[in-house]
Amino acid sequence: MTQNVDEIFERICTLLKPFNKKDIAIGKDTAFSIDLELDSLTVMDMLSEIEDEFDITIPLNMLPDLETVGQFTDAVHKLLSE
Amino acid sequence: MLEPIATKDPTLPRRLADFSTLLEAIEYAAKGTRGLNFYSPRGELETSITFAEIKEKAQEIGRRFIHFGIEKGSRVALIAETSDEFVCYFIGCQYAGLLPVPLPLPTSFGGREGYTSQLNQQMKSCGASVAVSASYMLPLLDEATSGLKKMKFVGTSTTFEAQASLKEIKSITLPEAIPEDLAYLQYSSGSTRFPHGVAVTHKSLMANCVGIGGEGMMLNDDDRAVSWLPFYHDMGLVGTLLSPIANQVTTDYLATEAFARRPLQWLRLISKNRGTLAYSPTFGYDICTRRASPTKIADLDLSSWRVAGIGGDMIRADVLTNFLDTFADVGFRATTFVPSYGLAECTLAVSFARLDTGFEIDLVHEKVLSGEEKCLKKFKVNGSGANYRSVVNCGIPISEYELEIRDEDNNDLGEYQIGRVCVRGASVMAGYFQDPEATKSCLSEDGWLDTGDIGYMKEGSLYIIGRIKDLIIINGKNHWPQDIEWAVEQLDDLRSGDTAAVSIPGDQDEEIPAILVQCRTRDEAERAKMEHRIKDTVHSMLGISPVVALIPPRSLPRTSSGKLSRVKARKQYLEGNLVL
Repeated sequence: MTQNVDEIFERICTLLKPFNKKDIAIGKDTAFSIDLELDSLTVMDMLSEIEDEFDITIPLNMLPDLETVGQFTDAVHKLLSE
Repeated sequence: MLEPIATKDPTLPRRLADFSTLLEAIEYAAKGTRGLNFYSPRGELETSITFAEIKEKAQEIGRRFIHFGIEKGSRVALIAETSDEFVCYFIGCQYAGLLPVPLPLPTSFGGREGYTSQLNQQMKSCGASVAVSASYMLPLLDEATSGLKKMKFVGTSTTFEAQASLKEIKSITLPEAIPEDLAYLQYSSGSTRFPHGVAVTHKSLMANCVGIGGEGMMLNDDDRAVSWLPFYHDMGLVGTLLSPIANQVTTDYLATEAFARRPLQWLRLISKNRGTLAYSPTFGYDICTRRASPTKIADLDLSSWRVAGIGGDMIRADVLTNFLDTFADVGFRATTFVPSYGLAECTLAVSFARLDTGFEIDLVHEKVLSGEEKCLKKFKVNGSGANYRSVVNCGIPISEYELEIRDEDNNDLGEYQIGRVCVRGASVMAGYFQDPEATKSCLSEDGWLDTGDIGYMKEGSLYIIGRIKDLIIINGKNHWPQDIEWAVEQLDDLRSGDTAAVSIPGDQDEEIPAILVQCRTRDEAERAKMEHRIKDTVHSMLGISPVVALIPPRSLPRTSSGKLSRVKARKQYLEGNLVL
């Protein structure tokens, strides 16, 4: 079943809750690094949670282009549609 | 179903790297049945390749390079994926007399431009003629190689191998190598903007592999290595690939990115395949502990693990203790820990703790650690109280080395004195590739290497307490303060010389980057904006948010020659003497 982008975004936001230490409002422009202040190891913790939830693997070459929650959502959507 | 290559090989007696070149080493290993296994992120065996198969494929690749017209001694950039293909290309370069240069993969979210410009700088610095990557990395590699005029081939192995048929290359003879020839270049040290490639000869490599397999690990027939370390880092390349080839050790690999997401998979492989040798920087042990829960680890059996090596960053005793507390129930023994010390400029290894003893710590007074006091004996070693910190025993230098702790005037200080760690021996690098100036700054004419680390000797063992080079190491990765300062100083309103990047201890004694910035404005909103931009810049480089301290103009301490003194800046900041 293919999901639409908004549903994926909602699920990602739920999964991000434990990583949102400062409890900021998460939008598609929220950046993992500056806004959520996730260090490179915590990003990996988060990544594995999200990959398990959607049963996908984000390929290594996509990582350098993922700065924001919105970009991440699009990447997940793309992988699910393939 | 695919079966992993076995640990034991009754057909071939083990030789501990007593070869004159890496080629001789692979030729010997190829006579036996051992080899390498590559596992998927979920722990399924994906590829197995024997040393014999590696030799076969590497010879073919070597012939292809020659047929393509790549001249002897040329540099071949290889994006170092954890794969059999990387291994065959690395050895293939050896057969053609070329220098492979392993380059990093992306490690985290974001930072595309930083990543490709790092690759670009490294390839430019070594004048690479060839760059090979897996197909999924090609768009990034294309970006990284744009403008590099010396490139004769950029592409995947498939494209490269389509250049000629097997028949066309059949008659090509492969050149011989001599021990003094360079074997490869290593970029794991050095600044990203001004990279230095460590040039390693066959002779150095073999000498180091002798030390690792012999005195260091005392390899026996049951030994099997399990690794997640990247091949673009000296510990991954030498420790878990070239040393296993030179010492004929079957090895299981998990890709670094797979380990970063599911670290317990590393321990599962050790458990399943009865691994005995596994290495990691401190942070690797840390993330295993963080991800462990009684149910997740209940089925592990770590009792086969004999050498749990630690190196590559400052070794933290608390992390090792937590790891032990977590995994003792599933067979991990305290005596398995083997702290060690090494650096790319020494090929890899310098010292190993005695096997089967575990880690030993000295409690050292802070005045000694901060450099105020040079002699340990003025303070009680292993005293107690808040002013003492633990320093881990990094073991005994392998016997090829002479090691001296020196003062500023190069006098040998002997034991219990704090000074620069200097070494001389067969595995010390020939120099930085095509960079005599950088070489001269750390390697003397009579072969002594200044490691840039400070420490002391006690009863024949080496203790490392810090670095002179001001390096900032975050999660096992080295960062040069110059690079960080340069990037921050590109921001509006900042000038060259306005910043100092230093490493400060966090709550758990881990390293945290602190950026001290001379700030001219007193406007609160402006200051907040600047702080945000600095954090953003530094995060994209280090993958971690720094502490930012905005300090008054002209308050950063300088040396007598006007150079920034990071050591002083750090000290003043930690003492609270630098804030507005």
